[in-house]
Amino acid sequence: MRYLRLYAHFVRFSFSRAMEFRLDFFFRIFMDTLWYAHHLVFFWVVYRHTTLLGGWTLDQMIVFAGGVFLVDAIQMTVLANNMWMLPNYVNKGDLDYYLVRPVSPLFFVSFRDFAANSFVNLMMAIGLLTWSLGRYPAPLGAGAICAYVALLLVGCALHYSMQMLFIIPVFWLHTAGGLREIFWSLDRYRDRPHGIFTGWVRRVLFSLLPFSLIASYPATLLFGGRPWPIVAHIAGVTAAALLFMVWVWSRGLKAYASASS
Amino acid sequence: MRLFWKIAGIEARKRMAYRTDFWLNALVAFVTELGVAYFIVLAMFGSSERLGGYSRSGMLLYYVSVILTARLVRPADLEWAISDDIYQGALNRYLLYPVSYGMMKYATQIGTLLPATVQVALFGAWVPFVLGIPEGLHVTPASAAMAAGAILVANLLHFLSVYPIQLVAFWADNCWSLLVAHRLVVMVFGGLVLPLTLFPAWSQPVVNALPFKYMFAFPVDALLGRLTPGEYAAGLAIALGWCVVGAGLSALVWRRGTLQYTGVGI
Repeated sequence: MRYLRLYAHFVRFSFSRAMEFRLDFFFRIFMDTLWYAHHLVFFWVVYRHTTLLGGWTLDQMIVFAGGVFLVDAIQMTVLANNMWMLPNYVNKGDLDYYLVRPVSPLFFVSFRDFAANSFVNLMMAIGLLTWSLGRYPAPLGAGAICAYVALLLVGCALHYSMQMLFIIPVFWLHTAGGLREIFWSLDRYRDRPHGIFTGWVRRVLFSLLPFSLIASYPATLLFGGRPWPIVAHIAGVTAAALLFMVWVWSRGLKAYASASS
Repeated sequence: MRLFWKIAGIEARKRMAYRTDFWLNALVAFVTELGVAYFIVLAMFGSSERLGGYSRSGMLLYYVSVILTARLVRPADLEWAISDDIYQGALNRYLLYPVSYGMMKYATQIGTLLPATVQVALFGAWVPFVLGIPEGLHVTPASAAMAAGAILVANLLHFLSVYPIQLVAFWADNCWSLLVAHRLVVMVFGGLVLPLTLFPAWSQPVVNALPFKYMFAFPVDALLGRLTPGEYAAGLAIALGWCVVGAGLSALVWRRGTLQYTGVGI
């Protein structure tokens, strides 16, 4: 309850700050709109030359894209600014400010800056996902849709854990962003359907670097996949990633040497 | 001119100084981009022999070429450097120098070409042995020379398309969103995401008239021997025309921006 109240304060501050810089507010909406368009154009062009991609039709692919948009919008709204700043806090010693607060430092550094200017895009992503589900030619079932959305939220938690695991090494490496650039490169796998990947790459994307579990694998729930194995797989990997991330974070804090870090 | 090359040399040395970071990030980005493209191509060619004028191995060669070309055209993180100078007030010192700020920044970009060329040579060395030269494509010393010329123009064109956007920082507290938007447009209409020949026929005149194609797809088409000398000359002329537009726009925005620049940063 205390954390929810604190988060409500973060959101209020973020909105008042975003209103001060209105031009940036619109730039960000413009950027995210183009990001959605770029994905839809990609699939639209590809499906002009094939009927199936990774076993999915265009309608299925649009539902998957809707899921990617939602996960990305949540990440951009809730986490992106915080993830961007974390390496700076560690390298400049500004993390001290968070360590002396009477709340979890991990909660504080992860959620302090709510990107109010991305909130409009979150609404847009929800609209696109609703549209993609509404235009799907076969009935999907309310239960399956709810489970899909729930798995996408779990996917957000998985994405957050993975991103943190690539940033936390900054405690030891003291580079500008930890291994953040590598994460961004690998994040491309999140935006493509898992059905196109084969062999060991597919196995890695389902386990060690589970990018396919964030938005792609949850979509199979809607298209006739057996629900429990899918839910168990995604929930299991996410729980493991979260626990591992929290453990690495605690090790990182021990290695943190304040302003001289 | 001597100063131009001096600045370029300093930037090249700076780039090579952070070796582990530099090589690790570059390698992972290359392998990932190529990996995603590889699986997309395999999936697309599941039921077709040829798509957009390419065989499967031809399209793989296109992707390798365009990913490597992008490294020479679009430097890693310089896209943000100019707007950062403006936000932080670091532009002040450049205003006192007796040389053009834009020219200095372009020299910095040219400086990144040396390490990028080393990367391209190393990352592309396996291509002839693994992919060979697929049927219908003709990579020759002449086509490589044409591609080199097109890449130099593309590098300038990319700089001149990003520069005026970065100068928006004179008015907006943060223009990185616009730079990302530019990057997305360039990726789609420059042929980085998909070969432009896959786009519908009605869109081709538009794609040909826009500047983005000349940043990535055009040099690759030149390299793969898909352009006649006439098409190559026409393409270069269009690209240079867009460079003039970019330079004019940059000068205009710079003049208006510096008039109201306060020099204290944001």
